[in-house]
Amino acid sequence: MSKRRMFFRMITASLLRRRSRMLIALLSIGIGATILAGLVTVYVDVPRQMAAQFRSYGANMLLVPSGSVLTQEEADDAMALIPEEERVGAAPYRYEYLNMVRRQQSFAAAGTDFDQVKRTSPYFKVNGRYPESPREVLVGKGVADTVGARLNGVMELTWFPPSTQEEDQGDADFDIRPGMTLAGHAQGYGSREGFNDNPVYVTFTVGGDGTIASISVDTSSETAGVGTRCSEEAFTDLFIGKKPKDLVLGRDVDAVSGATVTSAAVVQAIADARPVTDESAALVPRTINYAVVGILETGGEEEGYIYMSLDDMGVITGTSDQLDLVELSVSATQDSLERYAEEITASGHATARLVKRVTKSETAVLGKLQALVFLVTIVVLVLTMVSVSTTMMAVVTERRREIGLRKALGAPDSAIRGEFLGEGLFLGALGGLLGAVLGFVFAQVVSVNVFGSDIRFNFWLLPITVLVSMAVAALSCLMPVRRAVAIDPALVLKGE
Amino acid sequence: MLFRMIKGALVRQWSKMLLIALTIALGASLATSMINVMLDVGDKVNEELKAYGANIVVKPKASSLLSEIYDVEDEGTELQQAWLKEEELGNLKTIFWAFNIRDFAPFLNVSARIGEETVPVTGTWFNHHLSLPTGEELDAGVRSLRSWWDVPNEDWIDEQAPGAEREIMVGTALAERMGIREGDSLILTGTASEANVTVRGIFDSGDSADEQVWAPLDLAQELAGLEGKVASVEVSAITTPDNDLARRAAQNPKALSRADYDTWYCTAYVSAVCYQITEVITDSAASAVRQVAESEGEILNKTELLMILITALSLVGAALGISNLVTASVMERSREIGLLKAVGAHDKAITCVVMAEILLTAMVGTAVGYFAGLGMARFIGRQVFGSSIDIKAVVIPVVAVLISLVTIAGSLPAIRMILRLDPAEVLHGSKA
Repeated sequence: MSKRRMFFRMITASLLRRRSRMLIALLSIGIGATILAGLVTVYVDVPRQMAAQFRSYGANMLLVPSGSVLTQEEADDAMALIPEEERVGAAPYRYEYLNMVRRQQSFAAAGTDFDQVKRTSPYFKVNGRYPESPREVLVGKGVADTVGARLNGVMELTWFPPSTQEEDQGDADFDIRPGMTLAGHAQGYGSREGFNDNPVYVTFTVGGDGTIASISVDTSSETAGVGTRCSEEAFTDLFIGKKPKDLVLGRDVDAVSGATVTSAAVVQAIADARPVTDESAALVPRTINYAVVGILETGGEEEGYIYMSLDDMGVITGTSDQLDLVELSVSATQDSLERYAEEITASGHATARLVKRVTKSETAVLGKLQALVFLVTIVVLVLTMVSVSTTMMAVVTERRREIGLRKALGAPDSAIRGEFLGEGLFLGALGGLLGAVLGFVFAQVVSVNVFGSDIRFNFWLLPITVLVSMAVAALSCLMPVRRAVAIDPALVLKGE
Repeated sequence: MLFRMIKGALVRQWSKMLLIALTIALGASLATSMINVMLDVGDKVNEELKAYGANIVVKPKASSLLSEIYDVEDEGTELQQAWLKEEELGNLKTIFWAFNIRDFAPFLNVSARIGEETVPVTGTWFNHHLSLPTGEELDAGVRSLRSWWDVPNEDWIDEQAPGAEREIMVGTALAERMGIREGDSLILTGTASEANVTVRGIFDSGDSADEQVWAPLDLAQELAGLEGKVASVEVSAITTPDNDLARRAAQNPKALSRADYDTWYCTAYVSAVCYQITEVITDSAASAVRQVAESEGEILNKTELLMILITALSLVGAALGISNLVTASVMERSREIGLLKAVGAHDKAITCVVMAEILLTAMVGTAVGYFAGLGMARFIGRQVFGSSIDIKAVVIPVVAVLISLVTIAGSLPAIRMILRLDPAEVLHGSKA
């Protein structure tokens, strides 16, 4: 029988014959390895998982236009600089002021993508639901309280062209030709008395004989029931068949009684009217009725806004593909965030800004949590490893008699040490393997229960766990053996 | 005789007993430190999460009814804005959960002119001293509510220092645009009065405040002629994550049953704290800042659950480790047990002696381990949170019961197994 075969036979025989003791040793190593593999896997993956939790604080990066306007394409190009798996959400926003003419109040409205909002602002609390189809709005609680808007009610909103563009009325030198459409506006009662800044708008077409063929008047800025009567047909029909130039109120048409100022504004608007081109088509006020499908509660500034889809915002303003802001929620460390922001700004697509409140606090808190898990892992690991080796030591110390006997029979010290080392390594490998599997199971259970997602396994951990287990087992075997070997076999056998 | 045997065993086999004691001490220290950390981690992380700023905002109730006033006043007269009273702010520290209110600061937004340009001015408390009618003294202010601000050298306005009432802080964007530098003297012209002020510092907030001037509340009130008035109050409170009861209560506290109401009122839910605030400040409406309050609850729950699971794993590990070692040490003594049996000792007596030895060792180990565990918990607390972990007395019985159970579970079956065997076989060494 070769020496090597004898060696293996001695190890396996000792393992088999002393089943209960070996089971104890194996169990102890297994526990150690489970804790090692489990805790280290959790420790390695916790920052990623926790960072994902911190995204519930909302956007940590903002994209704002580099120039005057940000298009969806520019925003997409800018976002492409951030790895896709780190992008939790990207909500585009376009802000406009919309008016509730009846109440003579204007509100900030935002056009956005609600699917993305749910991701970037998970703390939004919506009573009702998010808008899904066109002409549905989500109304901030502040707005709803102010105007008394109810869930499932209707909200009439009017968009007025920005006043800066109004100044530019276009070229005054033109001839009125048949088939032309003209539009104009003039200060009515509302803007004169300071109720609002919005004038009276008139749009009309010119017939074959150079007279007004059809006309529509927007008096939504005027006093309800008084000035608004100027948009009724009873008044507007008076203009049909009249030459648009040089109309005089009272001579060509009679004013609506009680609404002289508004009537005069209509006449003035016709006189000031300019041909409508494609560009200026956008500059006509539009009034649309929206269904209030949700009331938004956040406790923050968001409650002062009305939210609608980007498409709806495009319809009411007549222009699309202009964003004021993109809110990005990125799951990354502050350093990477700063790098991304620099890259995006340098690329020229958009200017990226970090939301300091979120990024700075997150770095602070996340750092603490990581340190906590790290320290806990270290403490638990050290204690467990020491406890594993005490158990191993106890199991080996028990076999002093056997060591003494073998020594008395003439076995060299190195052979005895080698055998115990082999036994320890074998137990370590087996226990380590067992523990690594159990540890991964534990890590997965933690991840699913705490974070609701799968853990990312680090497969390097498997050989590391096995190696560490083998090392701990071998070391704790060798210490008592060394002591037993050093003693006179006669004393050991006597049981002193 | 029993004592002599136990004493003999302990003295003669001291090295084996030491090993058992050591392992048990390790297990006990692990259990002690982990349970202590686990029980306190919620509070500690909660403190840390205060970095995100206030989680409650108090506004005047009437501002939500503003529209009614507006409707009547059709002629475009100036709106009648509602205010909170500055003198009532101290009441915040008199509510049931006063101790949980970490900090608070009032805000008043006015506008003023610097030269030709109109700039928004936010008046607030930076480090304001309050003497409550209850005799309590405290400092409250905006510093801890704006932890993410970069202020050079952390040199904030301090109202308790002389001359602070004429100092302002300027947002970096505004300062850059207008060329304002630290130490500059400016004239702020408000709607009611004007003031000569010095710039204490330029701050970088990363949000809209960068376009504003921040001034002591008194100064802002003076500029706008709104003495004693406050537009909103931000409150940073330590709260318990919301559960079903809290959500139901948030809808309408009056609809709860008496028992539920008491439970809710006496738990630091954010809705309960809000409710209590509205009770002490006239015509106010307090609401949770959901961005902070919601996320806070989420993260607290996750952290606590994570710690519970890690603690569970280490407890199971410690328990198995201890019972494992105890089993091993009992089996090691099979020869001694067999001998005792051979000379005619009763099973009961043998069990008693062996168990007594082990339990005595375990007690010593547990005591040592408990204090070592406290040290470790303290170490973790100091290292991670910079403050000691709160030591809970309830951990002592928990650890004691756990260790005794584990020791008994580890030794009793082993003793029984050896007792069942024929003493001759045990002594011969052919079994077990």
